[in-house]
Amino acid sequence: MADFDVIVVGSGMSGGWVAKEMAERGFKVGVIERGRDTQPAKDYTDFVDPWDTPNLDWTSEKDREEYPIQSEVYAFNQNTKQYWVKDKVHPYETPEGQDYKWRRGYHKGGRSIMWGRQSYRFSEIDFEANKKEGVGVDWPLRYADIKPWYDYVERFAGISGSMEGLDILPDGVFQPPHDLTCAEVEFKKKVESVFPGRKVIPGRAANLTEPTQEQIDLGRGKCQARSLCERGCSYGAYFSSVAATLPAAERTGNMTLIPDTAVHSVNYDPETKRLTGVKTVNMKTGESATLTARTIFLNAGTIPTSMILLNSATPDMPNGMANSSGQLGRNLMDHVAGARGYGIMPGFEDKYHYGRRPNGFYIPRFRNHTESGEDYLRGYGYQGRIFRGSWHGNAFGAGVGADFKSQNRTPGPWVMGMVAFAEILPDERNRVTLHPSRTDKWGFPVPVIDQKHRENEVKLMRQATRDTRAMLEAAGLIDIDTDNPDNITAENMSPPGNGIHEMGTARMGRDPKTSVLNQWNQSWDVPNLFITDGSFMTSAGCQNPSLGYMAFSARAADHAAKLMKDKII
Amino acid sequence: MTDFHLNRRSALQGLLAISAAGALAACGDTTPKSESVKTLGDTEFATFKGFFSIEEMALLTALADTIIPETDTPGAVEAGVAETLKSLATQWGDDNYRRYWRQGVRNLSDKLPGFPEASTEQKLEMLGGYDAKVFSGQIDDGFYRDMKRTISTAYYMSEPGATQELAYEAVPGEWKGCVPLADYPKTWAT
Repeated sequence: MADFDVIVVGSGMSGGWVAKEMAERGFKVGVIERGRDTQPAKDYTDFVDPWDTPNLDWTSEKDREEYPIQSEVYAFNQNTKQYWVKDKVHPYETPEGQDYKWRRGYHKGGRSIMWGRQSYRFSEIDFEANKKEGVGVDWPLRYADIKPWYDYVERFAGISGSMEGLDILPDGVFQPPHDLTCAEVEFKKKVESVFPGRKVIPGRAANLTEPTQEQIDLGRGKCQARSLCERGCSYGAYFSSVAATLPAAERTGNMTLIPDTAVHSVNYDPETKRLTGVKTVNMKTGESATLTARTIFLNAGTIPTSMILLNSATPDMPNGMANSSGQLGRNLMDHVAGARGYGIMPGFEDKYHYGRRPNGFYIPRFRNHTESGEDYLRGYGYQGRIFRGSWHGNAFGAGVGADFKSQNRTPGPWVMGMVAFAEILPDERNRVTLHPSRTDKWGFPVPVIDQKHRENEVKLMRQATRDTRAMLEAAGLIDIDTDNPDNITAENMSPPGNGIHEMGTARMGRDPKTSVLNQWNQSWDVPNLFITDGSFMTSAGCQNPSLGYMAFSARAADHAAKLMKDKII
Repeated sequence: MTDFHLNRRSALQGLLAISAAGALAACGDTTPKSESVKTLGDTEFATFKGFFSIEEMALLTALADTIIPETDTPGAVEAGVAETLKSLATQWGDDNYRRYWRQGVRNLSDKLPGFPEASTEQKLEMLGGYDAKVFSGQIDDGFYRDMKRTISTAYYMSEPGATQELAYEAVPGEWKGCVPLADYPKTWAT
C-alpha cells in the first residue's frame, strides 16, 4: 500500500492546483515542500507601516552578501526578504562569462506569494506558431482544448480584467477591471488612434475586485488597493496557493503537507515501468526517506524539476528519468524585459488617483499580428502605468525650508513608465544540466544553467524600443527617455532568468522522440509521471505564464484522475 | 544625479510593483552607494562607537531642521530624522558608509561655518544658497544630495511626515483612477 495516491512535489503556483484538483476528486495527496510551512500570521508583513519598516526599507550590504541575486529583484525589500532564498545556501553555476538570474523562494506557496499577478491567456496564434514557423516542436493541443480550463481556473482564482474581443489575447472569466488613470485613458486614446492595430487595456491581474461566494467561503476578500501584495495579503485578495488552492485541498481532508522536505530523485520500477515514489531529504535534519504513491506530479519549478529527473538516472534511463527524447533540461525559456520608456504626460493637473492599484495597463502583442514584423518572429507585450509623481520623485530636487515642504506636498506631474516583455524562442542549446561533481550542503548536485539571448530576441527588443518611443511621442508625452535601439545586444539585454518566467525544459509535444510530455502533461516514458510547472511549455508566448500553468495543471489533474479511476495508472 | 533621473527612477520603480521585470531592478535601487573616502585613516571610521559625534549630530540636526522645518506640520527634528540618520550609520551601514558620512559632514562643516549656531533666517539663507548651487551644478557635492535624500526619505516615511504632512491611507479599500485633486490635495505618502 502506497503512502499516498498522489505525490505532488512543490506547493507553488502549479502544485497547489494539482493538490486541490486531486484532493477534491477523493485522492489522498501528499504535497512535498522543500521550504517551511508559510504562516500568514507570522510571515505576512502587510500591516507594517512605512515608519515601522527598518532602515528606510533600504537593502543593506549585508543583504547583498546574503542575497546577491535575490536582492536585485524589484519585490525584494525589508518586508519581503523572508520569501527569497539565501543564494549562498542554494548555489548554481553558469558557463563562464554568462549570466543567469535565478529568482526564487522556498516555502509553502513558493513564488505564488511574490508573483506579479498579471494573468493572460495564450491564444490560438501562440499554439500554432511553432508549427507554422518550423520552430521547436508543435504544441500537441490548440486553444479550444485549453479554453474550458482557463475558464475554470479563472473562475476559482479570480482575475480582474476587461472584455476586449482580441484574438491575440482571448477574454476570460473576469471580475471588474482596475480603472485606468486619467492620463492612461488619454494615452490609450492617442495610441489607438495613431496605431489602429494596437490596444491599451487595463492589466489583467489575479486580484479580487468582486469576490465570488466560493472565494469568500475560502476566507478570501476584496482587494483593498494597498499594493503591498508581495508581502503576502492577509485579506487573501490576490491568488496564491496559500490563500486559495491549498486551503481548498485542505478542507477535503485528503491533503497532507510535508514541509522542509526536498525531493532528491524519483524511484522507478523497471518491471512495471512506473515510478513508485520519491526519495526525500529533510532540509533540517538531513535525513533521507522514501515516500510512495501511485502517481507523481512534479511541480518543483522548471529548473528543480529537471534537476530531480536528471538526478534519477537508472540503467534503463541513463540520461535521466523520462528523458528518452534527450529533451529534458533543454529549451529553457523566459521572457526578456526591456524597451523601457519614460515620459511626462502634460495636463490633468487638477486630477489625481485614490488608493494604490496593484496593476497597470497592458498593450497586447501587435508585431507579426496586426502589424508586420520585418525580420524576426513573434512579438512582445507591454506593461506600464501613468501615475502622478510621488515625493520620491519630487523630494530629491532643489529647495529648502517651507517651500521645499510645500513643493513635495503637491503631487508631481503624470509620469509614465512602461516596459516590454518579449517572447524567447525555444532553443535546444539553452539548457539545464547537473554539475558533474559539485553538490550543495544536502548533497544535491548543483545545476548548471546555460541560456543566452539569440538573434531573434535582440531584433525583437530593438523593434520594441523603437515602438516604445513612437507610442510615447504619438501620445504627446514630453521629456521622453528610451534606450537607443542600435546599442542593444544579446549581452546587454536583461539577462536570462530576470523575467522570472523560466519554462520549457520538459516540453510537451506530439512525438515521444522529440518531446518529454504528451498533451496531458504526462511523461511519454513513464505513464504515472506528470509535470505541470513551467517545464511543459512548448513555446513561451509573450504573456505572463502563470495562468497557463494553472489551466494545464487542472486539466492534467483531471486526466490523471480519470486514468487512475480506470486503473490505467 | 539630476532631477530628471530621479523622476525617471521613481516612475520605473513604481512600474516595477506591477511587473515581474527584475530587469528594471537596478533602476529602482534607492540605496545610496557609499563612496570610499581614502583621505582619512581607516581607524577613525571603522568604529561606530559614538557615531555620530556630538558636533556632527548638531550639524546634521540643524541641516535637517532647515531643509524640513516645522510649519503647520511637524518638521524633521520632531519626526525623529536625526535618530534615523544615526541608526542608518550604526545599525545599517558598513564602514564605507560611515566613512562617507563622516567625510561628507566634515566637508559641509567647512563649507557652512557656524551653521548650527546661526539664527533660523541665517540658516535658511546659508543653506538655501548652498543648495541652489549644488542643484544648479555650480558646486559638485554628491554627499549633500545623498544626505538630503536620506533626510527627506526619513521624514516622509516617518509617522508625522506620512500622516500629517502628506496623506496616508494604510487600507484605501478601493482604487479610483481619476479623482479631483481638490478632494485629495496632498501627495500620497505611499
